[in-house]
Amino acid sequence: MKWMIGALAALVVIGGCGSKPEGGTPTAAGEAKPLVAFAQANSQDPWRQVFDKEIQAEAAKHGDEFAYEQQSAEDDPNKQISVIDTLLVKTPKVLLVSPVKESVQQTVEKAYDAGIPVILLDRGIPGDKYTCLIGGDNVEIGRKAGEYLVERLGGKGTVLMIQGLGGASATLERAQGAMEVFKKNPGITVIEGDDCKYQRKAARDYMDTFLQSGRAFDAVYCHNDEMAIGAYLAMEAAGTPKKIIVGVDGCQKEIVQYILDGKVDATFKYPIPGPEGIRVAASLLKGEGPPADKKIVLPTEIVTKENADAYLKANPNLF
Amino acid sequence: MAEVTDGGPGGWSGVARTAQRYQGVLSLVLLLVFAYAFEPLFFTPNNLRNVLNQVAIPGVLAVGMTFVILTGGIDLSAGSLLGLLNCIAATWMRDGMSLEATGAYILVLGLGVGALSGLTIGVTRMQPFVVTLAAMVSLRGIAYVYTDSKNISGIGDGLAPLQQTQAALPVPAWILITVTGLAALILARTVFGRNVYAIGGNEEASRLAGVAVTRTRMGAYAINGFCVAVAALLFTARGNNGDPAAGLGYELDAIAAAVVGGCALLGGVGNALGTFVGALFISSLTVLLILQNVNDKVAMGWKGLIILVAVYLQNLGRK
Repeated sequence: MKWMIGALAALVVIGGCGSKPEGGTPTAAGEAKPLVAFAQANSQDPWRQVFDKEIQAEAAKHGDEFAYEQQSAEDDPNKQISVIDTLLVKTPKVLLVSPVKESVQQTVEKAYDAGIPVILLDRGIPGDKYTCLIGGDNVEIGRKAGEYLVERLGGKGTVLMIQGLGGASATLERAQGAMEVFKKNPGITVIEGDDCKYQRKAARDYMDTFLQSGRAFDAVYCHNDEMAIGAYLAMEAAGTPKKIIVGVDGCQKEIVQYILDGKVDATFKYPIPGPEGIRVAASLLKGEGPPADKKIVLPTEIVTKENADAYLKANPNLF
Repeated sequence: MAEVTDGGPGGWSGVARTAQRYQGVLSLVLLLVFAYAFEPLFFTPNNLRNVLNQVAIPGVLAVGMTFVILTGGIDLSAGSLLGLLNCIAATWMRDGMSLEATGAYILVLGLGVGALSGLTIGVTRMQPFVVTLAAMVSLRGIAYVYTDSKNISGIGDGLAPLQQTQAALPVPAWILITVTGLAALILARTVFGRNVYAIGGNEEASRLAGVAVTRTRMGAYAINGFCVAVAALLFTARGNNGDPAAGLGYELDAIAAAVVGGCALLGGVGNALGTFVGALFISSLTVLLILQNVNDKVAMGWKGLIILVAVYLQNLGRK
């Protein structure tokens, strides 16, 4: 009896290592197609999930030109270093990295020094040892959100800003851009809300407590959509009269539905750099050389009730 | 620690005893045979160096954890302590201290914090799970306060010696081998080592037999803290920065390696060499799954299952 279970167990071990997702690349010698490898920061949060879907869809279009593989690092920089080191064993022709933190710099530079083009997605690293960086501009997104709120409020009112994870660059920049605009408009008062870690529940808890305080406000600016939904849910439960609510990211079908229902007023798309990264990788493989600009900034777009339906159609991979 | 085997047919129980004696080696050999057969890249010098670089941090943590587990305890604070020591080491290096001074300070700190945990457990007779859970929370908090929630970068190349290759192997691998060797000697050849096994086997009996239980426990946790400090230095060199979130969940990786390596969580059974093999098994598995291009979410599921099976295989002979 025991040996049967033992043998079964051995089979599981072998099966586990041998199982491949569909479309996995055979690594047998004589493999002709070059490899494009992507080290993702994490595959958990909604934005990253849309990121994964879109980059994989774009890579599939280039299936004849190169093989594509990706691995995620659960937001642990040490794990990402290990992932990149292991991907390098497979000698990819282009390496895409969405860095967890700047501390993956050494490994990225090692690849670059070895002659492998490195395309950074979303977040950069210090120095200039990479081929190009593709991402959005959070300061600009903050500015756009600030301008929208000022316009909606007619230049006069109180904005509660619910903040993302403290210390994260996205949080600092989304706050910075909006504050630039608010400071230029003396009629606007800003209440700097708590760090709600980009989480819906944390924002709801904070808003519940804030409403208890009885402080007056006219609009809520949240550093992402999850927190905008959390803030809305708290106000709905408390029976608070409708306020203007703005979020950022635009990567979930749910937020678009909230906008269509008039519960949230607007969101600003945080652009997904994956497809552009694949296109740059493809042109590098064709020998077309690196892009003219080392930093490629992808534009944001506003989603309101007016264009929400069109936005859904244009972005079929939303979470 | 005499093993009791079932009274089944002599042949099988003999095989089972042998299987159990060689603990994780069996699983590791199985894995390596599979890698040899199906993954031509695994046994390239490049990849072997990669595996050894990766196993060093979890390996050193797991060897330290072995002392604690042998006493029948557990240390949930290892990851948090690693994070704090990583921040302190990065700060010292940034402020221009030498590698020697920083290293000595970090090792003494690790030893001290470990001894304090052991003393608390010994004196208050609270469960190790609870005491180290509390330490896990506080140490993480201290790391955030110490760094003001920011990463510490710009620490120069003072830690480069910890990243080099010496005599064919990466320095982190040599450190792991040294730590494992010393731990094996301490456990097998010293009175302290015998006492560690004794209090893990039966604390009351050891106490009655005159073993200084609290002092032994303190020693075990101090050695564990020392190992965490070694791992923290390797971690700091690998990312070349300080990160208050570093090492999140690493205690669980260390416990997994020890358990795969044949440690019993009830205490009294296991050894440092087994743990080394267990850590090597998990790191090899991680690398193999990436080389085989297994989807990382699927890989997590397989890893859990394979660890479970590996432990089951080893326990066949144990009753």
